[in-house]
Amino acid sequence: MAEVSPKLDAKAPTGPIETRWERHKFQMKLVNPANKRKHTVIVVGTGLAGASAAASLGELGYHVKAFCIHDSPRRAHSIAAQGGINAAKNYSNDGDSIYRLFYDTVKGGDFRSRESNVYRLAQVSTAIIDHCVALGVPFAREYGGLLDNRSFGGSQVSRTFYARGQTGQQLLLGAYSTMNRQIQRKSVEMYARREMLDLVVIDGVARGITVRNLVTGEIESHSADAVLLCTGGYGNVYFLSTNAMNSNVTASWRCHRRGAYFGNPCFTQIHPTCIPRSGEYQSKLTLMSESLRNDGRVWVPKNKGDKRKPQEIPESERDYYLERIYPSFGNLVPRDVASRQAKFRVDEGRGVGPTGEAVYLDFADSIKRVGRKGIEEKYGNLFDIYHKISNENPYEMPMRIFPAVHYTMGGLWVDYNLMSTIPGLHVLGEANFSDHGANRLGASALMQGLADGYFVIPYTLGHYIASNNLPKIDSNHDAFKASREEVSQRLNKLLSVKGKHTVDDLHRQLGNVMWEYVGMSRNAEGLKTAVDKIRGLRKTFWSDVHVTGERNFKNAELEKAGRVADFLEMGELMATDALVREESCGGHFREEHQTPDNEAKRDDEKFQHATAWDFTGGGEDPTWKAFKEPLQFEYVKPSQRSYK
Amino acid sequence: MNTTWAASTIGRKQIIGITGLGLCAFVLSHMAGNLLILISPQAYNEYAHALISNPLIYVAEAGLVLLFLAHLATASVIQFKNWKARDRRYEVPPNGEKGTSVARRTLWAQGMLILVFLILHLNTFKYGENYTVNYGNGEIRDLHKLVIDVFQQPGYVVWYVVALVVLYFHLAHGLASSLQTMGIHHPRYQPAIKASSLFYAIIVAGGFIVQPLYVLFLYRG
Amino acid sequence: MNLKLKIWRQAGPQAKGHFMDFEAKNLSPDMSFLEMMDVVNEELVRTGQEPVEFDHDCREGICGSCSMVINGNPHGGDRGTTTCELYVRRFKDGDTVVVEPFRARAFPVIKDLVVDRSAFDRIQQAGGFITANTGAAPDANAIPVPKPDSDRSFSAAVCIGCGACVAACKNASASLFTAAKLSHLALLPQGQAEREERTLRMVAQMDAEGFGACTNTGACSAACPKEISQETIAQMNRDFLRASLSRR
Repeated sequence: MAEVSPKLDAKAPTGPIETRWERHKFQMKLVNPANKRKHTVIVVGTGLAGASAAASLGELGYHVKAFCIHDSPRRAHSIAAQGGINAAKNYSNDGDSIYRLFYDTVKGGDFRSRESNVYRLAQVSTAIIDHCVALGVPFAREYGGLLDNRSFGGSQVSRTFYARGQTGQQLLLGAYSTMNRQIQRKSVEMYARREMLDLVVIDGVARGITVRNLVTGEIESHSADAVLLCTGGYGNVYFLSTNAMNSNVTASWRCHRRGAYFGNPCFTQIHPTCIPRSGEYQSKLTLMSESLRNDGRVWVPKNKGDKRKPQEIPESERDYYLERIYPSFGNLVPRDVASRQAKFRVDEGRGVGPTGEAVYLDFADSIKRVGRKGIEEKYGNLFDIYHKISNENPYEMPMRIFPAVHYTMGGLWVDYNLMSTIPGLHVLGEANFSDHGANRLGASALMQGLADGYFVIPYTLGHYIASNNLPKIDSNHDAFKASREEVSQRLNKLLSVKGKHTVDDLHRQLGNVMWEYVGMSRNAEGLKTAVDKIRGLRKTFWSDVHVTGERNFKNAELEKAGRVADFLEMGELMATDALVREESCGGHFREEHQTPDNEAKRDDEKFQHATAWDFTGGGEDPTWKAFKEPLQFEYVKPSQRSYK
Repeated sequence: MNTTWAASTIGRKQIIGITGLGLCAFVLSHMAGNLLILISPQAYNEYAHALISNPLIYVAEAGLVLLFLAHLATASVIQFKNWKARDRRYEVPPNGEKGTSVARRTLWAQGMLILVFLILHLNTFKYGENYTVNYGNGEIRDLHKLVIDVFQQPGYVVWYVVALVVLYFHLAHGLASSLQTMGIHHPRYQPAIKASSLFYAIIVAGGFIVQPLYVLFLYRG
Repeated sequence: MNLKLKIWRQAGPQAKGHFMDFEAKNLSPDMSFLEMMDVVNEELVRTGQEPVEFDHDCREGICGSCSMVINGNPHGGDRGTTTCELYVRRFKDGDTVVVEPFRARAFPVIKDLVVDRSAFDRIQQAGGFITANTGAAPDANAIPVPKPDSDRSFSAAVCIGCGACVAACKNASASLFTAAKLSHLALLPQGQAEREERTLRMVAQMDAEGFGACTNTGACSAACPKEISQETIAQMNRDFLRASLSRR
């Protein structure tokens, strides 16, 4: 059972929730403007969180060094977010407010997030929209020239701002452009095609990173007064996910191994609307924005094994199961609920398509209602993507969709200031565990990434720097040398195995284990099996993997190998965490803990806490110790989530 | 760090565009003058005389030479930069829906051919045999006779027509392209701009070609 | 189905490249082109050879990483498509497929099909932004933007920075890329304050990177996976002329 740890002091303010952030900001120390440029801050990752943090800190005058694994910071995976970004603007006059966004997010996260954090997120959401518009983000507008809003996954108000189906790209280009401005002003130095392979901790404080130059293979050291990790989630542990091919856990994992606690690793989000897998060769899955559920109706045939074409199945033989089970939310139930229901239908044998692992998402009624043109306006590019991939025209045939791993709510544990259990190491965006609890609401990831980068870290980082005496350290320090040495040895080790398995092969096997046992629904026995199987795979990996090429050149196989090696540890931690959390909440569904009608059954008595894992040993099989951060709900009283 | 307009690629393209538009106006008027051959030898010769006897002709010629040299030199500078920018060709050239027409890709080569044509053309006509004729107002140059001489040689006519077809392609793309380079583009008018450009090129090249064909096939002393 | 692949291999920036022949067998028509490359690569690894390096990431047509020239066309023969959105069903059984890197002096080859496109970043660093400090913005609805303007701006902002325009252009010109970035901001009220300065700076950087000049062949728009219009280039030309003439 998890213990309480003094390291897990959330430093969350108390008192009236509306003024917590305001008061906290005032109490934080400031860094003299003239001194800021003397402080170096490392930002790893240049997605929404990283680019916005680098830009804002550069703007304040800090000397920022930003790193990304891509050829350009603009390629970070935030770019692929489709749907939108929430903000409590109440432009739609439908009763939205900061409090309602806060309430929805806490409830949506199934009471496993920190109230103070969530309230702050809702508070700064409005400033994000203002800032992004000022940066030239071309959000959708109405004919009068004002911003358009829509309702999005699980929300009963229209608070989602969007830019056709590519809100992520437009927001990222905004953050990227404002970071470019700082690069031009020389306050941000950009290091592209660099992969962080270690965190350098000196006297218990994060003081720099070790990176590999992915073009030359050179191992470089970079020292700083603080390190910001903005490296995204770990969904690719499942091999198939909607994450980009290069998304990985390595940076987070290296920090975890250096002492940063990992929070709620088992909380993964399975997104209900993805294009189903078509064969063994499948390399990744493509998301169809959940905004499609606003106009599409989800159904399966009433009869098992009905192989007729969807158009030939009469209305009376269709089961619009979300509308049937959840009359008030219908097709707009939160992601975890929609995903699980799709899985139940497939398990019942009522799945559709060649593999039987899909359900229909049908637009026929909407096309009848608003016309093909209306649907094209809203979802044109999504329909095109679907058409290209599946070779079926969704204007004529219902889409086939199935859930896929999409987002990880878990991540490195951080306090209210976004600092991990290693002083100086801050974690932003999807890489941290903080705001979404056990399930993230649609259009909240972009909001959190930008909130952390634009509006939280600029204050809290200043406080950290102003309150700590950080002696000058350069990269010749012994700790840097040791880190470089360790990193080199690990690379050599990967290259020296020269076994029979390809990296992808083992990754695929890991993915199958994770999906099977640590996927949409989990049970104790399966989770134990998963741990065993993952250990076996890890053994195979280190004794029988084949990594081609050399260290001192561009080598994508070597990059992949290092990442898969970390996934092979991460997967075990996820299964372990899922095993000890003996309740169902949000995206974490334990079969042993469900209501009679198959809904998630929380156990607030025992599990109203975040679990944070301390890495205690890195032998052949790593070991961990669990600690807990109890959660208090003063404002939103825990209740059984009901979308009926 | 701002390079000046004339040193930038866009500025240079605009120099090519502006000079090109000037040359477009010139070839149009030249072509119209040529068509006087269909009226009578006298009209043809008197028009030519009016042009060359005007003292402003030197200014105009100087201007024309300047336009032409600027067009040629700037295009060549750009062309060398372009060759340098693409250091290696593809194994398979772009094709299908993503391919472009040869006419559009070879503007500079067309220009070079037109240059050769121009030199020979000036040599043949402007600095060619100086026949004279008198219509009652003193002796003037009988350019008509020279034109008849030249265009009764089928070989010369073939070369002339080929050169003019190349000029057609050059103008057809060049005119629309110049407008685009100057920043004139609107989806509503774009089809009209393209059509006018083609129409203009057909008129000019066609008008020029009329003269040798007329001389070779229809003209009976 | 089977395909004969002819893939460019180049060990490093200075190395001399060559084509490698490869028979890709038993492919599913529903495979994406990159999944076929994965299969080829896994086969190479199994036989102890180095796999073909190529940039790729999101595999859904938005990150702009993938950058191959397939049978002469950047991102393959279909309009409005990135390489990752290209499917094997597009080819005929037994076809020969030539795969090359983007070729431009400003995009030097790093390895195999991977090229260095950092020139694009530098063009944007030169001025591709609106100066607005975090937290200083007025309410988002304070400035209405007419929908037609907003839509036009958006249709330029869809640029994914892949570089297909450069790859397709016979002059390796970056005009469409630079123009798309400029038009996106130039068509919004927020972008007006810096409009001229931005145009001058970005064009200067574009020239400094060694890209060629635009000769209006339209190859770029044809190759652009987001089908960005030539109109953006006209806008850039116009803005550049005005900015050059009016600068002090």
